[in-house]
Amino acid sequence: MASSPLPAKESSGTQPKEGHIKAFKDLPEFLQLLERENQLIRVTEAVDLEPDLGAAGRAVSQFDETAPALLFDSVKGYASAHVALNVHGSWANQALMLGMDKTSTAREIFLEFVKRYEKFPGEMVRSTKAPWQEVMIEKDINLLEHLPLFRINRGDGGFFIEKGCIISRDPADWNNDNVENVGIYRMQLKGKNRLGIQVVPEHDIAIQLCHAEECGQDLPLAIAIGNEPIITIVGGMPILYDQLEYKMAAALQGQPYQVVATEKGLDVPWGSQYVLEGRVLAGKREGEGPLGEFTGSYSGGRNYPVVEIDRISHVRDPIFEACYLGMPWTELDYLLAINTSAPLYAQVKSEIPEVVAVNAIYNHGFVVIVSTRRRFGGFAKAVGMRILSTPHGLGYAKTVIVVNENVDPYDLKQVMWALATKVNPIGDVFIIPNLSVNPLDQSAQPEEISSKMIIDATTPVPPDRRGNFSIECDSPQRTELWREKLKTMRKEPSK
Amino acid sequence: MSLSASAPRASACPRCRSAATEVLALSPVAAVWTAYVCKTCLYTWRSTEPEENRNPDKYPELFRLTPESMKKFPTVPEIPARK
Repeated sequence: MASSPLPAKESSGTQPKEGHIKAFKDLPEFLQLLERENQLIRVTEAVDLEPDLGAAGRAVSQFDETAPALLFDSVKGYASAHVALNVHGSWANQALMLGMDKTSTAREIFLEFVKRYEKFPGEMVRSTKAPWQEVMIEKDINLLEHLPLFRINRGDGGFFIEKGCIISRDPADWNNDNVENVGIYRMQLKGKNRLGIQVVPEHDIAIQLCHAEECGQDLPLAIAIGNEPIITIVGGMPILYDQLEYKMAAALQGQPYQVVATEKGLDVPWGSQYVLEGRVLAGKREGEGPLGEFTGSYSGGRNYPVVEIDRISHVRDPIFEACYLGMPWTELDYLLAINTSAPLYAQVKSEIPEVVAVNAIYNHGFVVIVSTRRRFGGFAKAVGMRILSTPHGLGYAKTVIVVNENVDPYDLKQVMWALATKVNPIGDVFIIPNLSVNPLDQSAQPEEISSKMIIDATTPVPPDRRGNFSIECDSPQRTELWREKLKTMRKEPSK
Repeated sequence: MSLSASAPRASACPRCRSAATEVLALSPVAAVWTAYVCKTCLYTWRSTEPEENRNPDKYPELFRLTPESMKKFPTVPEIPARK
């Protein structure tokens, strides 16, 4: 019988209320909530690392938007190993993460997320001890003996850590907490204590590695794996360079965020399951990949930086958290959805208050849909260009669709209506050549350089008097009344 | 766990067919699996994987690498000049 790091399943639990803010101290506590909400499947049978874990991750991503997390309690070859998959892989799980009802829609989660984002900065608090310090390995490190790493897709070049929070500081501003970085960057196992790390120029860690390498120094880092769910969401968020992720996590969870500093001074979540400490080797690049990526295609191989691990720490009986990624939609699409949309919204809204909502949930925001009011003709096109100049826009947004304020960017039927009826391509579609893009964009030419497109699907306003637009239809009086009445009649057919 | 001298070596890397392979790790529970790494293309694999990932003759041509193809890898990010 497989052991489990979670307590026995409880028959009932506290029902989270919408808007109620609940901070989770660690991953097991969140998994317990998911289990109470029927959002976790425990697998106790012994599974093969390959192909079972990748296959199960793929299978659960093919569920609907209420997909559960998975917890494997017995992995062949390990005396005691636990693997959690798909923890963030549905709107239901993300709603529960925020203390909302699990039936919440993507738009409702976006609005709640934005509300909490506006409370930035929260507070980071340091403790001196953490449960992850209980077990420490510093000699003869062999990562694979301690972490159940596995191949996700058959063409992957190896075993990856794809859901670790990587913590680093800026060597040019070492004591400035606000530029400490928490980011999620894929890492490939390439030796007993050796990893490749994907550092692309648009990522914050690239700035820090550049500063270290200019001085010929290694860049210290810590890798925190198996965390409460908020910091993982924040690690994947394109916030500004001087916005500390822990202060964002504190704002989102409504409580100070608790960390513990490593000997090098890197702040690590108190509740992490595993913490790996090491260095990015200065001036070193080495073959890495491919990995089946969020684009739905294999990434190809590149020479990426290399990390050596000097210490492994973990809680007793840790849970390794991993993420299936491949042909969308997968957990990664949910993981990089609302947390991409909300900062884009906030960054643009701070300068253009007419912006109403942003949807950047498709392929990590390669496509962005933004709704806005227009003060004058040409305004919507400027909103589109502002999206392209945000931190996320620099590396990801390729196509921006701008729609009227009354079109919901999260309702693709409405967006398609706007595209179908508002766009006259000669005046509303424009292409800007040779902008920056993430190297994983396979349509780029050359790599990392792409044109970008803005589609103005708003109704022109003066002095832009193009077109023959007439008054839009609205709903007859009593429509709301009838909607509720008909819903009730459908639930309770006449007796 | 230290690697046993008797750990079975792989004859060639499934992906690039290089003979420069090493045992990367043995399963913590003895004799369940052995993991390998190729010193040429850095591919890693496990003895218990589906055959296409561990047998050089069954490895999919689509994913195969050679030292020549690896020379075409772009370097990301570029290594900055020393200040």
